[in-house]
Amino acid sequence: MSNPPGIGPAARNSPSLPQAPIARLQIPRRLFSSLEGVFNEELFFLILSVFIGIFSGLAVVCFRLAIDWTHLALLGALPQTHSWRLFAVPSLAGLVVAALVLHVFPAIRGSGVNQTKAALYIFNGFIPFRTAVGKFICAALAIGSGQSLGPEDPALQIGAGIASALGRQLEISREKLRLMAPVGAAAGLAAAFNAPISAVLFVIEEVIGRWSAGILGSVVLSAVSSVVIVRWFLGSEPLFRIPVTTFKNPTELLAYAVLGIVGGLASVVFAKSIGYLRPRLKALPRWTQYFQPALAGLLVGLIAFLGAPQIMGAGYDSMDQAMHGQYAWKVLAILAVLKIVATTFSFVSGTPGGMFAPTLFIGAMLGGAVGDIEHIFFPQLTGSTGTYVLVGMGVLFAGFLRVPMTSVFMVLEVSGNYEIIVPVIVANTFSYLVSRGLQSIPIFDLLTRQDGLILPSLEENREETILRVEDAMLPVPTTILNAKDYVDANARRVQDSPDSTFLVRMHPSGWGTVSRDQLQRFFHEGKGELTLSSVLPPQSLPSLYPDLPLDAALRYVNVCPLVPVVNRADSRHLEGVISRDSVFTKYGSPQTVAGG
Amino acid sequence: MSWTFRKLVPRSAALILVILTLAAAIAFAAVSHLVSRFTANQQARGRKLYAQGLAEVSAARYDDAINAFRAALTCDPTNSQYQLSMARALRDSNDPRRLDEAESYLISLWQRAPQDAAVNLALARVAARRGSIEEATLYYHNAMYGVWNSDADTNRNKARIELVQFLLKRRAPDKAESELMALATSLPPDPAAHLQAAQLFEQAQDYPNALAQYQEILRLDPENSSALAGAGQAAYRSGNYATAQRCLQAAVNANPQDDNSRQLLATTDLILRANPFHSHISDAERNRRITTAFDQAEKRLAECAQQTGVDLKIPDSITASPLSSLQSRWMAAKPDLARLHSPGETDLPDSIMDVVFQIEQQTSALCGPPRGLDLALSLISQRREAASQ
Repeated sequence: MSNPPGIGPAARNSPSLPQAPIARLQIPRRLFSSLEGVFNEELFFLILSVFIGIFSGLAVVCFRLAIDWTHLALLGALPQTHSWRLFAVPSLAGLVVAALVLHVFPAIRGSGVNQTKAALYIFNGFIPFRTAVGKFICAALAIGSGQSLGPEDPALQIGAGIASALGRQLEISREKLRLMAPVGAAAGLAAAFNAPISAVLFVIEEVIGRWSAGILGSVVLSAVSSVVIVRWFLGSEPLFRIPVTTFKNPTELLAYAVLGIVGGLASVVFAKSIGYLRPRLKALPRWTQYFQPALAGLLVGLIAFLGAPQIMGAGYDSMDQAMHGQYAWKVLAILAVLKIVATTFSFVSGTPGGMFAPTLFIGAMLGGAVGDIEHIFFPQLTGSTGTYVLVGMGVLFAGFLRVPMTSVFMVLEVSGNYEIIVPVIVANTFSYLVSRGLQSIPIFDLLTRQDGLILPSLEENREETILRVEDAMLPVPTTILNAKDYVDANARRVQDSPDSTFLVRMHPSGWGTVSRDQLQRFFHEGKGELTLSSVLPPQSLPSLYPDLPLDAALRYVNVCPLVPVVNRADSRHLEGVISRDSVFTKYGSPQTVAGG
Repeated sequence: MSWTFRKLVPRSAALILVILTLAAAIAFAAVSHLVSRFTANQQARGRKLYAQGLAEVSAARYDDAINAFRAALTCDPTNSQYQLSMARALRDSNDPRRLDEAESYLISLWQRAPQDAAVNLALARVAARRGSIEEATLYYHNAMYGVWNSDADTNRNKARIELVQFLLKRRAPDKAESELMALATSLPPDPAAHLQAAQLFEQAQDYPNALAQYQEILRLDPENSSALAGAGQAAYRSGNYATAQRCLQAAVNANPQDDNSRQLLATTDLILRANPFHSHISDAERNRRITTAFDQAEKRLAECAQQTGVDLKIPDSITASPLSSLQSRWMAAKPDLARLHSPGETDLPDSIMDVVFQIEQQTSALCGPPRGLDLALSLISQRREAASQ
């Protein structure tokens, strides 16, 4: 590398919106001069991703300890039903959390996924470190005290906050700084979930919102390094003990499809409840916000006090028990309903905390209940309750969070069992389709829009009509000139043509253009006896392929009046041509405007 | 923020990475310290809860024990001892729904240490609760050949005995017998162990091997009255009446209160006195025994006919009773008795005794179990039938 690379343009920090980066820094060759040649910005960013993973992993380890410690200190190791603590603790903790959110950490409401996405698309990757600290403290207090929320989404935001702070401190380029948030988010989520593949997919599906090869390496590196850290400290035990899962008979897919439909409906109920209540509670006078988390805590506590303490906190222990057939179907169904109620109120009250774990909980209970009911009517079904519980988790993930790929890989990664991949795919697909049919906007997009932001989503991208070159392509012109022919012969050929510009087949390969005026000028200059190739200025006309996005044609149509569209298998075979008018006509067509 | 890290350090990528590495190392050390303290606290809490769980188990309060073990496991999730105790409590709680969870704990322990005999034994017991002979046998075998922390031989034998008991309970005596054969070869020179094996052989209806075990006990402890009685019974059941007589006599002498042995001894004496096929008796004695048996059969037939209200004087073609038919056969055989002394009538003892045995068998089926000489004749009949097969 001849030019000693720098780390990149510096980004100035601002509490609200970061400014454009200053000029690229050149690293002086003084210290570590021999190493300097090795680092370019891309490589440095990759290495930095590993450090982001390490720091995020360490932070998440502390976060999980904080939740456990809070839980033990406030509720005890062996919570007793009908104990006053069950409703007193989450209520009082709710008051403290509300005060902290309103006065110290105003940007930490909710799960953190949208904030991270907003950082990527609006704030140039800027997430105040204070937000990460606030999220850590308040989410630990809320979840540890029993609010029906999970630690994964806050861990995602903590990771993103650490990454963003590190990026700003190192003054990396704005382009890279913007990408720091998803890299950190993947690390935080992977550490909290102990599932790197799911974390990477979720960040791509939900945070970045598009497939981007440029960032994939960094996201994977940070996710893997954070998981290594978490496993180092907390062990590699999965979140739940996976029971023996079986799938023997393909006809049982019908049973899983039913689970998918039920899960899809439950997802819609859950999402609509949040979508309906959240703006209404936010619209209440500010003083009520001091009490909203406390009231949500009181509701959760009362449910626990009255006999369902399983709904408190993330609920992984209860999922574990459901997976091992510890609850009858009625209990499972009741727990699913109660968890929807508890999580909805915990979340819409503005308490910081995530929806991953509650979603898994609801799915697990629903899956177990549906599986058990199906077993009552069809005793020949071979899938165990544990199998339905596992599939149910994916179903809610697909239906509620609307991340179909993550939902499949999450179940596979958590269970480590590929035998159930077909039931998972079938059930998740049904759930996703039912949810999408009944609730057009995914939950995270809905929350973003309620906050007045419009951010891109993978689901939108998937549904977007992509215009291709073939859509604007004109037919092959009737007159195509040959560069080997004489100028006068070519001039005679264009005499009766209405066109003003003509394609020229060059030799041995390639295409060119010539206008009627140019041909006439050559003729009048006495070059009629010369071949067209000898008089034409050297040119290399770009060619397009029919399957390319139409955007690719835009860069040529202003320079070249006609752009040949050729076959990928034979570049001398002309499929059609593209002109400026044909491209803009296509972009301006009502169908395109409506579709785009 | 008016300053940044980059403004404080030279703008060298390599140096920045070194500083980041140092920072990561310091953070790592700090988190290590935090985690180890937290873990130590949690482990202490876990030990307390575990002790509470054990106390609940010993009081047979399995629900409370499960709650305590569950809490202990939240404090120390990877503790194998807690997991094993949890699995045992779940298994012993007599709730079939909990077997899955117990199995799940045990499977995860097994995956970590497939050679652990205690885990395999626990898994075998779960499979036994489910009634799965194949799975239980597999895990019992794993336990037998696995690694025990202490007293391996005794534990292996105990596991095999448990497997035998399970197989007998599940009515698989053939499998149980093969396990018992293996057990017999590995027993220590301990009368109690041989006594247990002998009793299991008896349950598996393998009386010759049961007798061998009792004899082994008597070799170790010749005065053992239980072994004498057991040996007598096993010999009696296996048709070895001479040995049975000797052992039962010794058992009665050693323990005069042993009515069962006394009763068996009386029957054994009768068998030995009544058996016409005994090889060491004279022809006269044989003929006397056949005559006695023939007369006894008539008496038994008459008693049975009276008991069932059948008139033996009416021909069997009219009554259609099997007793009448037997009476006809008995009447037809009666003249043969006189020819017993004639030389060359070698088949006569068998044909006469066939009539006697048929009468004893049929009357047993129609009129209840025989007693006294009838019982002796029935047993001689069974023994002879078994020998001919």
